[in-house]
Parts: sequence; C-alpha cells; structure tokens
Amino acid sequence: MSRAASTYAVPSYNATPDLSVKGVPPSLLSPEGSRLDGRLPHECRPAYMKTGAVNAAAGSAYAEFGQTKVIVSVYGPRESKKAQAFSDIGRLNCDVKFASFSTSVRGKASQGMEEKEYTGMLHKALECAVALHTFPKTTVDVFALILQSGGGDLAVVISCASMALADAGIVMYDLVPAVSLSCTGSEVLLDASMEEERWGDGGMIVAAMTSRNEITQLTMTGEWPSTKVSEALQLCLDACLKLAELMRSCLKEQVVAGGQ
Amino acid sequence: MVALSAAEVRFIQGGIAHDLRSDGRGRYHFRPFSIQSGVIPQANGSGRCKLGATDVIASVKAELGRPPAGRPNHGSLVISVECSPTAAPEFEGRGGEDLSLELQRALERSLLGGPNGAGAAIDLSSLHLLEGKVCWVLYIDTLVLSSDGNLLDALSIAIKAALSNTGIPKVEVLASTSADEDPELDVDNEESSPLDISQVPITITLTKVGRHYIVDATAEEESQMTAAVSVAVNRKGIVSGLTKRGGIGLDPSILADMISVARHVSQTLIPTVDAEIAASESRAAGS
Repeated sequence: MSRAASTYAVPSYNATPDLSVKGVPPSLLSPEGSRLDGRLPHECRPAYMKTGAVNAAAGSAYAEFGQTKVIVSVYGPRESKKAQAFSDIGRLNCDVKFASFSTSVRGKASQGMEEKEYTGMLHKALECAVALHTFPKTTVDVFALILQSGGGDLAVVISCASMALADAGIVMYDLVPAVSLSCTGSEVLLDASMEEERWGDGGMIVAAMTSRNEITQLTMTGEWPSTKVSEALQLCLDACLKLAELMRSCLKEQVVAGGQ
Repeated sequence: MVALSAAEVRFIQGGIAHDLRSDGRGRYHFRPFSIQSGVIPQANGSGRCKLGATDVIASVKAELGRPPAGRPNHGSLVISVECSPTAAPEFEGRGGEDLSLELQRALERSLLGGPNGAGAAIDLSSLHLLEGKVCWVLYIDTLVLSSDGNLLDALSIAIKAALSNTGIPKVEVLASTSADEDPELDVDNEESSPLDISQVPITITLTKVGRHYIVDATAEEESQMTAAVSVAVNRKGIVSGLTKRGGIGLDPSILADMISVARHVSQTLIPTVDAEIAASESRAAGS
C-alpha cells in the first residue's frame, strides 16, 4: 500500500471526534481562519488512492480522503441479465452501499434512501464518461462500498469509481474526479469533512471531466448568494483538476509497478 | 415513453433553434398555468397546479413531532412525491419509484435548506413549540395526476400554493410539566395562523435540447433533452438549490449562463405565480 502513498500524506488515524448529534454547532473557522482539522478554507483533505484492491474484480480501487474510506469494484463487461431488453450500447449498472459500521449510528433509517440516491447520482456522473458503445449488449457493474463515512462520501465514491473503471480497462473519455464543498457564512470550505457538512449553511457537489471541461454531475443545497455560486463552482473545478492529476499519477504508478 | 418520428424530432429541434417552439412559445416562455387552492379539505393546506397538460397536487399536513436531532429549536419539513401509474403507464413499478425519488430529492434540496436549516423555504424556527420536545412537522405530500413534462417546476408551484394556503393550529403549552415528562399541549384547531411563505422558492428547469436550452419543456421536448438543470430561486433572486439531471456533461460556462437565465426567468415568473395564488385564494374564500 505504501507505493502510491509516497507522494501523498496518509491521514493520521486519530480517533474521530465525538460526533454526538446534540450540542451546539461548533464554529467551523477559528479566528485565525483555520478549520477544525487545521486545514485552510481552500485546502483539500489528504488523499490516498490505490487501484487493484479486490482480486476477483475486473478492476477496483480504494480511496481514502481524510476520514472517508471507500472501496469500489468493477465487474464486466459481462452478459446483461436475461430480463433486460436488447440494447446496442452497453449498460452501466451502479450500486452504492454503506457498510453497517460506516456511520456513528448503526443502520440509520435514512440510509436506504441515501444509498438509492447515491446510486442514481453515481450513475449520472459516470454514464457520459464511459464509452458505452464499446461494449454493446453487455453490462458493466460498478459496486461501491462506503467503509467509513466521513464527509463528502458521494464525491469520493465517484472519483474512486472512475479509477476502478480505468483499472478494469473500460474505455472512458476522461476520468471523473468529484469534489464537495460546504458553505458557511461568507466562507466556502473545500472538501468538507462530516462536521462541516453537518453544520454548514449549504453544500455543493461537482463531478467533472476536466480535460473535456464538462460537468457531469452537480447539486447544490442551502442558501447561496449569487456571487458565491460561481466562486464555489470555480473552486470545485480547480480542485477537480488537481484531483485528476493525482488520480492519473496514481494510475500510472500502479501500471509501472505492475510491469516490473 | 414518447414515440416520435424522425421528422417530428427535426421539427422540435428546428423550432427550438429558431426560438419558436411547436406550441408557439419562445425558449424562455412558460405554458399558461392555473392554480387552485384548498382542494383537499382534510389537509391543513393544499394546492393544485396545472401547467399545460401537467397536473399535480400538493398537500400540507401539520403534525406534532420531535425536533430534529441537533436542532432543538427548529421544526422540520418532510417531502414526498408520488408518481402514480394512473398518470402514465411508465410510472408503474420501478419506473415510478426512480422518478419519484429523483423529484423528491430535488425538492428536498431546494426546500429544506442547508444542513443547519439555512435557506429553508419556511423559517424552521417558527415551527418550534417547546425546546427539544415538541415542534411542528410539516408533511408535504405531492401527487402527479398527469404528466406532460416539467413535473418539478409544476410541483414547486403547487407546493408554494399549498404552503400559502396552510394554517397552523394555535397551540398552548400547558405549564407544570417536569423536564422528563412529555409536555401537555392544548391544540386549538379553530384558530390557526398562516405561514410566512416569502422565502419559498420556485424551481426553474432549463432543458438542453441540441445547442439551446428551454424552460418548461413538454414531454415531447423532454424526450430530446441531453441534460437539464433545475435551479430553485426565491423572490429575492437567491439560489437555494440546484440539481443537474440527464446524463450528458455540461460546459461550466454554459452552466453559469443557465443559472443566470433561470434567475432572470424567475423574476418574472414568481410575481405571476404569487398573483395567481392570491387570486385562487380569494376564489376559495369567496365560494
């Protein structure tokens, strides 16, 4: 695991601060302008990514962004289920699941809904990046498992899934890095952690194919003054660009290491 | 599913390119709509919106519940969307479920505000009754009766009409309850107070067909879309939620244009909606 990590700091494994739901909202920025975990407002969490995490899969990837840990495996292209209608382009089948120990409260009632929503959003984020016409009549399955939910879960799932697809050798137009952001008062906090997500005024998720300059998935919630929207969007796109480089270099490293 | 011939597809796309759509509208014109208030007597408030052949109902029920975790001084909103198979055959089984969930999440994103409740459609602290114990929970249930495109915008209009029609019963918290006991409440259903709906946003969906984007797409136009962006905007022009739909990517500059067009359209649409709601309420009161 240490190979790909060489250039990126592995996050410290301090115990997660107690995220009890009661209590007063903490102030998300210190007077000096640093965040709860010591980052600057526009600084991303330390990221670690690795492909080939699952042996049985055609391709797989593991990603760790701060406290958020995600594993994605890709199977296929393989024969579509019999029940499905004929399709002359390939199918992308996505599934996102939370591990039952991934959240502080075990198996929350809302988790099933969230899984369904994430599944739909992951599918939309990826489908225009995958060259579906290259595997007609067949299905590629993308199974994502959130091992530890630590904020920005969906964004990490999307980035990790596109790495896994690349690892599986599925033809894509571009990688799809995704970044989430939280807005609090007049500040925007890039790559928000769980606490920032919980107490923020609003949030945004952007997934983009950076070399094609195309946004594949975007959602916003909460109150956004109009000037903040474009600033936040630009910030996310810049972060996506940097994340894309990281993902690319990680993929290259794995290939080089595998060839030796 | 809408079945179109190649000629019809060309006609629709050509019309949009020339800013003259099949039904005579320009790209940024809404279909005429009508609003009916107070259609469900059992609910605390209700509204029905007909937008062209799209027909949706929203009802608001106020129930007493527990404040959300971590926010003892707030009430909460719960939104659900039902696409019944009576509206369209493709809503049967999973098809309806997926669309319902997509619409519901988009509405939640625009109406519930951020994680701490900022930017919510209704000031959530106004729904609070007794700290940490009791608050109002507004259940906003919506039903699609007939679908001819642009469901999300129609739903947001119906919800606004329903909220403006909603009366919250007067509640008196009887004193002399100790800290651990459930408090005693006296609910007076005769007297009710209206909600402040000045912050309720309207969703504007911009549908991209070919190189152009249009508002209020019909089902035929939606079948030709490559991507769509739904922007929730309130009366002050503040964006309170955004959802991208459709599977094709968008250029960031086009996206920024779409947001500003949505805000622009909303500034003429929202007064029309408000006037229409006021008119339907005076009709309902008069009858």
